[in-house]
Amino acid sequence: MAVAFRNVTKVFPDGTVALDGFELTFETGEFVVLLGPSGSGKTTACRILAGLEPATSGRIEVGGRDITDLPPRERGMSMVFQNYALYAHKSVYDNIAYPLRVRGVPKQEIDGRVRDTARLLQIDELMGRRPGQLSGGQAQRVAVARALVWQPDICLMDEPLSNLDAILRLQTRTELKRLHAELKTTFVFVTHDQEEAMTLGTRIAVLKDGSLVQFDTPREIYHRPASRFVAEFIGRPAMNVIDGAIAGGRFRADGLELALPGRADQAVGLGIRPEHILLHGRPKEGAQAFRLDVKELVEPDMLLFVRRGALALVVRTKADLAGLDALEPGAEVHLELPGERLHLFDAASGLRQP
Amino acid sequence: MRKPWRMVALATLVVVLVIALTPYLWLLMTSFKTRLDALADAPVWLFTPTLEHYPMVFLDKGYLPLVGNSLIVAGVTTALSLAIGVPAAYVFARHDFAGKEDLFFFFLTTRMAPPISVVVPMFLFFGYVGLIDTRTSVILAHSTFNLSLVVWMMRGFFADIPREIDEAAQMDGHTRTGMFLRVLLPLAAPGMAATAVLCFILSWNEFLYALILVAFESRTLTVGIPGLVTPHGTLWGQVAAVAVVATLPIIVFTFLVQRHLVRGLTFGAVKG
Repeated sequence: MAVAFRNVTKVFPDGTVALDGFELTFETGEFVVLLGPSGSGKTTACRILAGLEPATSGRIEVGGRDITDLPPRERGMSMVFQNYALYAHKSVYDNIAYPLRVRGVPKQEIDGRVRDTARLLQIDELMGRRPGQLSGGQAQRVAVARALVWQPDICLMDEPLSNLDAILRLQTRTELKRLHAELKTTFVFVTHDQEEAMTLGTRIAVLKDGSLVQFDTPREIYHRPASRFVAEFIGRPAMNVIDGAIAGGRFRADGLELALPGRADQAVGLGIRPEHILLHGRPKEGAQAFRLDVKELVEPDMLLFVRRGALALVVRTKADLAGLDALEPGAEVHLELPGERLHLFDAASGLRQP
Repeated sequence: MRKPWRMVALATLVVVLVIALTPYLWLLMTSFKTRLDALADAPVWLFTPTLEHYPMVFLDKGYLPLVGNSLIVAGVTTALSLAIGVPAAYVFARHDFAGKEDLFFFFLTTRMAPPISVVVPMFLFFGYVGLIDTRTSVILAHSTFNLSLVVWMMRGFFADIPREIDEAAQMDGHTRTGMFLRVLLPLAAPGMAATAVLCFILSWNEFLYALILVAFESRTLTVGIPGLVTPHGTLWGQVAAVAVVATLPIIVFTFLVQRHLVRGLTFGAVKG
């Protein structure tokens, strides 16, 4: 069964265009991540799918059925909110049981399902508490339990991890992955954190300015970013992109020249990820000499910020690489940019060149 | 707090309490004094209490039904103001529409005109529709000023509830109406209790509208008191007896919702 955004546009009363002809189709059972910077329209897309926000134009379809005008309760979807939105006047048990009660599930069934879900999320000890007596991580689990207990077709999550501290965020991330593997429910997960997106998603939809830029598996997004925007958004530190031009089979930029045989003459951005640059201690055929500016240790890796004229690059390498400790700022390093690791982006549109 | 300051604070508290409670104590004592004691030149603190005023005024003079009138007027006024004002306050807290803040301010302006300037047109209007000397007229009159109070206070309470709660309720399967009745109202209940008590007290204490609009069977308790000022002098003992009874529900209610009342008065209306 396919879930589809068809040419969805959302304009807010103040004139902000949150979604602009947004198109996205995914299958149920997937863990879809909507990823983008703030203002990219990812939350709006999620809320339109939920029915909490009407689309200005366009359609939402589930399994070929137009659900654009259905109220939230008839869409078979649940939602986990960033601030959890638990009912403060109800106990944890009643919070989890609430969607079942509202949806008229027979009383004798409710208790079993609430307890099963609570056990799944390891919150069965907290059933009698009020939301005010829970830690952030516990409240988060209760919110997830409430969203999963009635077995919705799709579970929407709007930045559910951003209020958790770093360690808890990692744990919860792993939990969510486990839940998805166990339950096979469709998840739509909104985040601005590329690392969350890469680890959780079976496919990632990257949004920019209200449009879909790329919808692919994390691997594909990392290795074949569809545009310069995606390339620079995914991966930390961001991909190096050097502005220059190809002429006569050679790429030329301020401070760098590389052989790029078989390419048409054009202005391009040449991209390479910091972790794909090879570092050499002494001059080597095909390697370029740079001057080391700053060294940053990010165990088990080392980041090297290097310069050559106006050109600045970041290199990521293993911290225990032989001879690395001896390198001081100002030293000369030799960098090799392997041809198979290079990405070319059109200078004007930013789109990937095949 | 250091000890000397504690003493100062305590002393201040005692002074304030004496100033605030002495008149009430005076009232209470007067309701048990004979006419002679009540009118004594030098205040009498020790006296033989009499129980004659209470049965006299409430039974012989027929003031008991007035308590009922006051209860009905204040109760219905409160219910009516809440029934209309609470949904309106929710809309003010959650939805945007053209002229929203102007309309909201307009509700407040209804309280700015001195009541005496409104009461004559109101009298003429109620006379025209044949409602003079009915509890309905007083209820409607009292609802006019209570409605703005409800809208102003409750907007703040609804604004305090995160919007995501509305959305969570809808995702959990509620219609918009279900969400409002089953989720938001229970969450706003403490605020509603405080608002209700305030409405009740304002209506219960109100004198001017009630005095002009009703004269006989439908009189409220406050309107009954001037009837005890007779050509032969004011019946202070009976006035005090009625006044003591009139203050009872207010004391009870205030203690019941004291905590919410303070919160409601300081946060509710300001935050909106």
